[in-house]
Amino acid sequence: MSASSAALERQIRPIYDALDTGSNKSAIVTCNKLLKKYPTNILLKALKALALIRSQKVEESLVLCDEVLESKPTHDGVLTAMMHVLRGLGRHNDMVTMFDEAFKKSPSNEELGCQTFFAHVRASHWKSAHLIATRMYKTFQDEKYLYWSVICAILQANDISTPPAMRPILFQLAHRLIQTSPNPSYISADRFHLHLSLLRQLGLYDEANKLLDSDVGKSICATNLSCDELRREIWQLQGKVKEEGQRAELLITEKRDRNWLEFLAVINATFNEEDSDLLKESVQKTQKIFTDIAAQDGLKDRSALLALIEVEQRAHERGISQSPPVSLMEEYFEKFGNKACCFEDLKPYVKSALGNDLSHWTSFLESKLTVPETIPALQEVINALKLIRYGLTASEITLESELKRVNQYAKLYFETISLGANLPSTELQPGDDLVLLAANALISAWKLSQSTSHLLTAINLLEFALTKSKHCFLARLVLIRLYRILGAPLPALEHYRALNIKQVQNDTLSHLVLSRASTFSLASMGDLTLSTECLEATQIYLSNSQETGDFIVRAFNAEKYSQIPEFIAFEDRLDTSLQRDSVKMEHLRMRLTHEPVNSDVIDMELIELKFIFDRVHHDNRDFAIFPNYQPNVSDSLNHQTLLFGKEEGFPWLSAFLKIYIRILQQASDLDDTVEEKLLIGDRPKPAAESVTRASLSERIQNFTPEELSTLTSEETKLVEYATSLSGWLGPYHDYARPPPSVVLAEAAKQTELKTGHPLKGIEVPPINGNGQHKKDEEPPAVVDAPESVAKHFDGIRERFETVKTSDSVVDLLHVATLAQEAFILLVTESTRFKSSSVVKMNKFGALATNLKDLKAAAQAVLKDISTELIKRGESFNNAEARKACVDASNTDISAYISHDFILNLAKKISDSRYKILEGVGKGIVRVIALHT
Amino acid sequence: MSILRPFKASDMFKFNNINLDIWTETYGIGFYLSYLSRWPDLCCLQEAPNGRLMGYVLGKAEGSGTEWHGHVTALTVAPEYRRLSLARKMMALLELVSEEIYKGFFVDLYVRCANSVAIGMYEGMGYSVYRRVREYYGSLGIGKGGRDEEDAFDMRKPLARDPHRRSIRPNGRDIIVSAHDVS
Repeated sequence: MSASSAALERQIRPIYDALDTGSNKSAIVTCNKLLKKYPTNILLKALKALALIRSQKVEESLVLCDEVLESKPTHDGVLTAMMHVLRGLGRHNDMVTMFDEAFKKSPSNEELGCQTFFAHVRASHWKSAHLIATRMYKTFQDEKYLYWSVICAILQANDISTPPAMRPILFQLAHRLIQTSPNPSYISADRFHLHLSLLRQLGLYDEANKLLDSDVGKSICATNLSCDELRREIWQLQGKVKEEGQRAELLITEKRDRNWLEFLAVINATFNEEDSDLLKESVQKTQKIFTDIAAQDGLKDRSALLALIEVEQRAHERGISQSPPVSLMEEYFEKFGNKACCFEDLKPYVKSALGNDLSHWTSFLESKLTVPETIPALQEVINALKLIRYGLTASEITLESELKRVNQYAKLYFETISLGANLPSTELQPGDDLVLLAANALISAWKLSQSTSHLLTAINLLEFALTKSKHCFLARLVLIRLYRILGAPLPALEHYRALNIKQVQNDTLSHLVLSRASTFSLASMGDLTLSTECLEATQIYLSNSQETGDFIVRAFNAEKYSQIPEFIAFEDRLDTSLQRDSVKMEHLRMRLTHEPVNSDVIDMELIELKFIFDRVHHDNRDFAIFPNYQPNVSDSLNHQTLLFGKEEGFPWLSAFLKIYIRILQQASDLDDTVEEKLLIGDRPKPAAESVTRASLSERIQNFTPEELSTLTSEETKLVEYATSLSGWLGPYHDYARPPPSVVLAEAAKQTELKTGHPLKGIEVPPINGNGQHKKDEEPPAVVDAPESVAKHFDGIRERFETVKTSDSVVDLLHVATLAQEAFILLVTESTRFKSSSVVKMNKFGALATNLKDLKAAAQAVLKDISTELIKRGESFNNAEARKACVDASNTDISAYISHDFILNLAKKISDSRYKILEGVGKGIVRVIALHT
Repeated sequence: MSILRPFKASDMFKFNNINLDIWTETYGIGFYLSYLSRWPDLCCLQEAPNGRLMGYVLGKAEGSGTEWHGHVTALTVAPEYRRLSLARKMMALLELVSEEIYKGFFVDLYVRCANSVAIGMYEGMGYSVYRRVREYYGSLGIGKGGRDEEDAFDMRKPLARDPHRRSIRPNGRDIIVSAHDVS
């Protein structure tokens, strides 16, 4: 090493230290200083690019980044720095090229080979990853690389971009490769797993059996759950039901295995018999085995007794047993009724085994309804109540009977409250479920009567239960839903925060407060609480894209092949999460209420929404978490408590994306060719079937019946309005939009102003004169707005008058916020025609007048709505409103709870209603001012 | 009826009924993925036939020489599925794998000194206190439970590879080390 390069290395170290500690500014300063001395040093440029990207200076970083890439770096430090830069920019494809070039120059560098392989892995380029691994296996003779090439072929086969016809060929290729392995796959459980999964895929069962029946194979399956899972599947695919049953029986009887899967295997084998005499015999034999086990296990394990119920139920279905397994269910209840899971355990049998004949079962359960004196006895009563409720028939669910049940549940709750008095405050109270049962019944009563007083009672009870059992998260979940229905978003948010939702839970549970959150947004007033909540909830997707790839790489390094497809699927499920994009949609809806609509907003949002639109979404939202104790014949608690009674699923998102993409597309100057040139970074991978699809603009024009069915009637009106609006204005936009060359020239000018460097890779054709352009065709003749546009706000006024008189705050907010949204859409659509030169040049004078009139009419309606909301808000800001709230709740129940407590809750609800009505009301005026 | 199966990355979408409970921490996705990318066979869960998760265990193998052992990092069961010996079954699997696959000398775990219910349960499974780790659960000042709230017991159970039971000792509760001394 020369003296100067040693000196340089010493000088560079502080840059690394600065980057490590997050002092990006000082890293940039040091880089600049050194670059003066060594202006051509690539490592310095790479490090500066990294520091810049970490300080969000993307444009400056890009210039350096491209310079470094052009030099085709091979230096270790440069490659590592650039890896981080390119990852930060989302340019996985460039990273791949960079490593490819470097590896080509030094093909014997094994470490570099691995890095190159991982670059392809991160970009999900399975085909080329496969080739690299194959090459590495040849060069470095490490068996690991052979397995890498095998799994890459499998991953390529399973990739959405691979045409179906290619898939079998790739699996066969993988199979051929794995057979060339010098060592058998069973030297590691994960290689063995990979081998088996391949054989399963190809249906090569004989070969799979050979592996599985070997001693090593057996011992792997005995200690590795993943391999055993595969073995089970492979046996099942071969129809080896009997063998599986025998194997499972041995495990149960001799190894005391109590995995339910083994019991199921024995049961499946038992019923794998066509002849009825033989079947009877085999059922009897199995019953004998299970009865013995059940006696042996006693109260220690519930599996055998449940297995007996399952056997008897299936026997009943097959016509061998006369009666459904009621007596066994009763025996089960007697033994395990004091365990919380008893209800979940027996639920399937109440539904399928007993059918309509529940009388005997119900009277058995009713005999258990004594006043409990111990916690286990209370649990038993709770289970009985839950099971009775689950079995209710439609005729037994009336308002009167439900209210009777509410009193029954609540009374028992308060009578037994002392049982949990001595538990530590961190424990859940044994009677919590009674309150949840009462809440279920009250929600049912609300559905039957439409009277929100039942919801108020439910809130009183649940809030009271939380004072006794402060960690009862199930109560909070229900409360969040109820407060939202009542138009009191503040306490809903408080409970949501108390749940302490973290990390991946943001994906599965943020729907609780963020679904249709724009209804409760006060962003127009500058209160960005919900908007911020959206951003915070979406942090998880960022961590996913930054971290999960690292772990996929780690799994490759550690050769944990069983995990690699799981990690990829996990990454994909988060990346294409429905909740992610629903939140994005809500965030945009809120954003436009407090930010002016300009071309930056329009273009950025448009590009993002277009990416989202073609995603194959995954719904990861957790609705199973709700304590649903509703009768089997009723809707679930989740369904009953959806805001506006409508789910916010794929069709909802798709409908809103269509509205916004179409309108933003019209308002934007970017057409596809311009976008393609200006966009930096990777594009989403197209699915194999996308080739045959219609173009985006065609696909966003029509709404499917399914999409419309998930919209509220008010949202449907918005869809109709937006469709007519863009249909009407489309031709004028298309005519007046500047041609791509002009847009590109402008973009180039802006970039140069900002960064001092010209826009790379774009040739700007010379433009004549003042940048105006001549059109060959005549402008389209201006016609009046279609009726559905012209009369939209009149319709809103009418509907608002109707909901004004109802007591639903949330309906009022819904009409008001969607009216505001319709106005914002109109503003977005007419931005282009605000410029007098555009109007003059295109002879759109009549259009401009038309739009002005429309906006004026919309503003008039909005102002009236605003006044009315503020007035209505005021009506909640006094003692009478609170008293009304108190009076509305059930007196039988309020007898147990202190008056002050109920009054406080009433105050909380009224205050929140007051704030939201007044806020949205005043916000509307601000929105008008913002957009005029 | 509970199904014992491997913990998979996508189970993170389903573990709310377990993790919303106050005693179970939800870590960043990297935490779960790092365990799965190294010791997938030491991570398993119990599932009800309707697909609802009941509890899970995450473990790892670590240490050198005779300290090589299986470690229980997280063991948790949803409130509604407690008192069904689910923890015992998951521990049994973790011990089996630590013994047969990783050839460890023992399995160990940390538990809050104040958590007498859990300590009793582990003792019932053959674990004994090896040492007391001071301020393992952070030093937020002495709370209601005193030192027992923030100190942890490191509990161990010897495996077949340690036939002389050298990995445990009878007076473990009196051996106090600081949190810095343990990994």
